[in-house]
Amino acid sequence: MTRRPHSINDFLGASVSKILIAINAIFAVIYFCVLVFFFPIGNVALFGFLVLGELFHMWQLFTFLYTVWERKKTAAPNPNYYPAVDVYITVAGEPISIIEETLKGIKAMDYPAFDIFVLNDGFVAQKDNWQEVEGLANRYGATAITRRVGGGAKAGNINNAVKETRNAFIAIFDADHVPHPDFLKKTMPHFSDENVGFVQSPQYYKNFNTNLITKGSWEQQQLFFGPICEGKNRLNSATMCGTNMVIRRTSLELVGGMCEESIAEDFATGMFMHQRGLTSVYVAEVLAEGLAPEDFLSYYKQQLRWARGALDVAFKYNVIFAKGLTMPQRIQYTASVSFFFSGIFVIMNAIIPLIFFFTGAVPFVISTMLLAVVFLPYIFITLYTLQTASNFSFTYQSLAFSVSSFSIHMSALLSALSGRKATFEITSKKKISGDFLNLVRPHIAYIILVAIGIAYALYREGLTASVVANTAWAVLNAAIFSEFIFAAMPNNKVKDTVSKGRKVAATIITSPKKMLKQI
Amino acid sequence: MDTDNTQTFFARNKATIAIVGCMVLVTLLSVAFFLKQSLRLDEAQSLWQTSHSLAKMYNIIGQDVHVPLYHTILHYWQVFFGSRVPVARLLSLVFFILSIPALFRLTKLLYGEEAAIFAILLFSISPFMNWYGNEIRMYSLFTLMVILNLYYFIRIYKERDTPEQQGSAWVWYGVTALLGIYSHYFFFFALTSEVVLFLSHRSLFPSYALKRFLVIASIMIISFLPWIWYVMHLGTISNSSPLLQAPNSVNIFNTFSQFLFGFQIDYVNTILVSLWPVTVLLGFLALRTKRKLTVDTAFIIICFIAPNVCAFVVSSFVRPLYLSRYLILTLPPLYMLLSALAVSYPQNIKRIFMGVLIAVMLGTLTAEIVSSQTPVKENYKQVTDYLEATASPQDVVLVSAPFTVYPIDYYYNGPVAIYTLPVWDRSSYGAIPPFDAATLPEQVKKLTKNSRNVWVILSYDQGYEDIIHSYFDNNYQQLLVKNFSSNLNLYEYKVRY
Repeated sequence: MTRRPHSINDFLGASVSKILIAINAIFAVIYFCVLVFFFPIGNVALFGFLVLGELFHMWQLFTFLYTVWERKKTAAPNPNYYPAVDVYITVAGEPISIIEETLKGIKAMDYPAFDIFVLNDGFVAQKDNWQEVEGLANRYGATAITRRVGGGAKAGNINNAVKETRNAFIAIFDADHVPHPDFLKKTMPHFSDENVGFVQSPQYYKNFNTNLITKGSWEQQQLFFGPICEGKNRLNSATMCGTNMVIRRTSLELVGGMCEESIAEDFATGMFMHQRGLTSVYVAEVLAEGLAPEDFLSYYKQQLRWARGALDVAFKYNVIFAKGLTMPQRIQYTASVSFFFSGIFVIMNAIIPLIFFFTGAVPFVISTMLLAVVFLPYIFITLYTLQTASNFSFTYQSLAFSVSSFSIHMSALLSALSGRKATFEITSKKKISGDFLNLVRPHIAYIILVAIGIAYALYREGLTASVVANTAWAVLNAAIFSEFIFAAMPNNKVKDTVSKGRKVAATIITSPKKMLKQI
Repeated sequence: MDTDNTQTFFARNKATIAIVGCMVLVTLLSVAFFLKQSLRLDEAQSLWQTSHSLAKMYNIIGQDVHVPLYHTILHYWQVFFGSRVPVARLLSLVFFILSIPALFRLTKLLYGEEAAIFAILLFSISPFMNWYGNEIRMYSLFTLMVILNLYYFIRIYKERDTPEQQGSAWVWYGVTALLGIYSHYFFFFALTSEVVLFLSHRSLFPSYALKRFLVIASIMIISFLPWIWYVMHLGTISNSSPLLQAPNSVNIFNTFSQFLFGFQIDYVNTILVSLWPVTVLLGFLALRTKRKLTVDTAFIIICFIAPNVCAFVVSSFVRPLYLSRYLILTLPPLYMLLSALAVSYPQNIKRIFMGVLIAVMLGTLTAEIVSSQTPVKENYKQVTDYLEATASPQDVVLVSAPFTVYPIDYYYNGPVAIYTLPVWDRSSYGAIPPFDAATLPEQVKKLTKNSRNVWVILSYDQGYEDIIHSYFDNNYQQLLVKNFSSNLNLYEYKVRY
């Protein structure tokens, strides 16, 4: 095992051998079939839970394998197609220094014709610096568009600006996402195909190495913006992510502007465009650099918004039967939103050893080694496929963060099911210090229950093979949750080498749910 | 100042100290514990086989399931140093000790010094290696040959740009391959793994590699054919080999468990293998940014998995031959992988992983040494000591399975006649006669005709132990039952008053 030096585009461009994908699929089917059809059933309810959970995992795995099966190199039809562009920076009270950096980046873009607009929602969001933002825009030759009447959150801000600007194409950046000079030159030529509705590029977190939160956030992003987005591109299902993207004005108008009814406005708008038969392009190259949330509270809120937004889209627009989508697009959108149901299945899997500890009930009655024979090859090949697909960017921490987010996903699911109105809450733009252990109470509770459960099971039946095997599973879950708990503690720094001098940290997210992941 | 110098000395000579330390450790373990153990069935067979002239010895081995290199060396070893059990075991210990620096160099070549030190530490405290590193069998020689052969094979592609160094690697590769196939038939699995790497990564090797491999393969085939011809000519393979069952999933996990934790009683072994979900966590923890699976590691994984899978498949569909000791060739790759995994972890996890693994292995090594119920222990010496002290000349000893008469015969110096059930004349040519329940009463009656008491030693159940046991229980008065080690029982019955 060797370690390669880090490069900004490392997570992109890897391809997975079709043989590996096929082997992975075969082992998964063998595992599932043996589990469901050949193991003698123990407790029927537990067995049902387990099978349901595995069914969901199979869905996740197979949609992932389908997504990464192939990647399309998208060549622009006319590499010299450089029409005029309106460049939007969406602002809602972010610190001036952050906006200024973004403005500098946009000004430095190497492109023949573009106008800059600062979409200043500071006034309607009642932020103190809204006038400062106007002054800043003037200094950089940009036009500030300050709404006086709110509504529609970020989508409303953009729709307002669309009415006041004229160019045929609109590039959108969040306040903290600084484009590279070649951003427009790399994205615009794709619009020479008149059917292309939007072009999306990855979100890169330049502060990824600041602490466990930024690291975890970025490592989660890599799998999505790497193999998954590249695979979606092949299937004309690129996810619109709200920043680092360009939209054709007529396409946006065709779908009635950015969707204001959902806090997943970008995701929904992208889907509406696909429903209208428009195509999308994902440019697999980092063309802008942003900031990850640096504290656990901001991370938590960000994830919660993404989850809630995706679930709203799932329930409101019924992605499975939405008109106009092709079958691959339906699969992709369903896969994206279904990720946020994974909390249910994480809980179900985690709870099985606990039920054993306290009741002795097991899902099936077999030699634990028999399970190992079918499970271990399946899980290790799946891990290897994930590693290969992400160009070895998929990490333990990203896995731990994804699995541990079950509490967030459950919270979003419950609020979506209860019909509670989702609000577009702007997160603090300054790093919030402190420990956030209250946010990981379910995880801590699980570990405590495991400890008590092991003691009780030992008291009930002594050190048996079943107790040991269930303890091992519970420890596995606890170890994964621990990563999340550590991240919620104060002083969770990875290194002090990055982001020195950045006194003001960003939590970004003018756009909720930029990312919708399958895995 | 002195402290600094001492620290510098240790830092500079860390590898040498580790290698020498591990060699001393296994020697001490051997002298203190393993050399003193009772002779076991397989060992007794080795001693009996090698006690003959070379021609007769090859004739016997040819009918067995093994190749003759180890027996030839052991034959001359005994000529020079004597044939006492500890002396014969020392030969295996020599191969075990030599394997330590060999494994160090192999692991260092792929994963660096830290991993290499950890690998040899695991190797030295391995209950499995310590067992076979002190057994009068070919397994430590086989292990040494596998390690050396892998080492020179890897050097061939690692040093493709330095032909002057490569020359010696080719020669030694050929030599170790040749010696390897004469140390155990399973060595072919090691060669198969190498062929897989060569064919799948042709570009790793120098352009002339194919030609050289073909030359070496030709030499090996020409050198091995006479032995194959001889074995075929005898046509009586495995007349006296133990009965093996077709393997199942439990056997696979028991093999891995034995590689790490040695031979434990069923309960402990079950607990250990039930911990397998922890391997999933170890796999998860290994997921680190930019940690790419290299060709080297893929090759070592193949070296570990392929022989196990092949042996399992062959055992399931052709002929049962799945035994953990035959698969000892996969033990060095396993330890190498664990070491590579350990050093890839962040510091804290690495320390915990190494500490826990070492602690558990030391614990199981201790249990293997101390427990009289260690499954592979065969206390035939204690049985014969007991018989010498207790049995009278009017008694008779019956042994089953028949081939277990070797270790009993080796130790027993008393006046009582020893026979086997079913009756087997070792000096006659041919296989052990099959057991026949119908003729058992007649055989027993004949063998005990003039005896007062009969002592029945039962071990190595070949499928009829219960029948023999029941027969005696139902027809004779039992006077005594005594267990000496796992599945080695002595019974005394009254024949006449």
